[in-house]
Amino acid sequence: MKIDNSLPLEYSTEENQTKILGFWIFLGAEIMLFATLFASYFVLVDRTGSGPTGAEIFEITPVLIETIVLLTSSFTIGLAIHAMRIGNKKAMMAFLTTTLLLGAGFLGVEIYEFVHYVSIGAGLQTSAFTSILLLTLGTHGAHVTFGLFWGLFILMQVRKQGLTPETANKSFIFSLYWHFLDVVWIFIFSFVYLKGMM
Amino acid sequence: MKELFPAKQVMGFVFSMILTVTALSVYFLEMSFTVGITILLVTAFIQAGLQLVVFMHAGETKDKGAIYTNVYYGLIIALATVFGTLLTMIWGYQIP
Repeated sequence: MKIDNSLPLEYSTEENQTKILGFWIFLGAEIMLFATLFASYFVLVDRTGSGPTGAEIFEITPVLIETIVLLTSSFTIGLAIHAMRIGNKKAMMAFLTTTLLLGAGFLGVEIYEFVHYVSIGAGLQTSAFTSILLLTLGTHGAHVTFGLFWGLFILMQVRKQGLTPETANKSFIFSLYWHFLDVVWIFIFSFVYLKGMM
Repeated sequence: MKELFPAKQVMGFVFSMILTVTALSVYFLEMSFTVGITILLVTAFIQAGLQLVVFMHAGETKDKGAIYTNVYYGLIIALATVFGTLLTMIWGYQIP
């Protein structure tokens, strides 16, 4: 394994560089996945049948909490990568833990939201609108849930093995994933919630 | 402690909060649909670009050409999917 010390740890071997590029290609495919969901959402948004419209069921408070919590978690994972690059393992672990806690907080609010929707009669089978709404939100939420477990396992590996080219690479790729989820949320926040409540 | 909070990332975070507040104006202020959707489109895409460049470190390494090509490719397919769907399913078109 040839280690190039002029590059950050996560980029230091050829294998690491290839893995990062590979993950970017995966994210390109994810962009397209969410694009199909958004396209379906825009087509079905007015097909409410006898169910409620977006303006009737959306609440600004939980949406704002989710947005601020997720944006902050995106900031803290950025700080974790910065701490990793200056070789501060303790700070990196602290920032990663904060990120995961914020992610769990986001998920908690989103679960509350889903329970609320179903309880007021806006379930998966109510109308084409509620169906695509819950599918779009749910796909994002499932990604966050997966990310929580992924991040937790990386945290455990960093604690055990320290900051090596391998764990640094994994952490960096996880940070790319987390920022990507934040980008998707910004689009949900803007074009599902705010557009719906405008 | 200070070294853990680089100015670039802190500024990026502050700016992303400002963008969020700007986007929120469409909810709290009275405005036409066109103005509202324009504000949302501008803030959302700037926000996405910000994440990409400041937080995801795109463009810092020698594979930046491949990274940006791939992101633009994904974006083009995404926009074609969304606006192509809107054109065929909602807006409609007439051949003269």
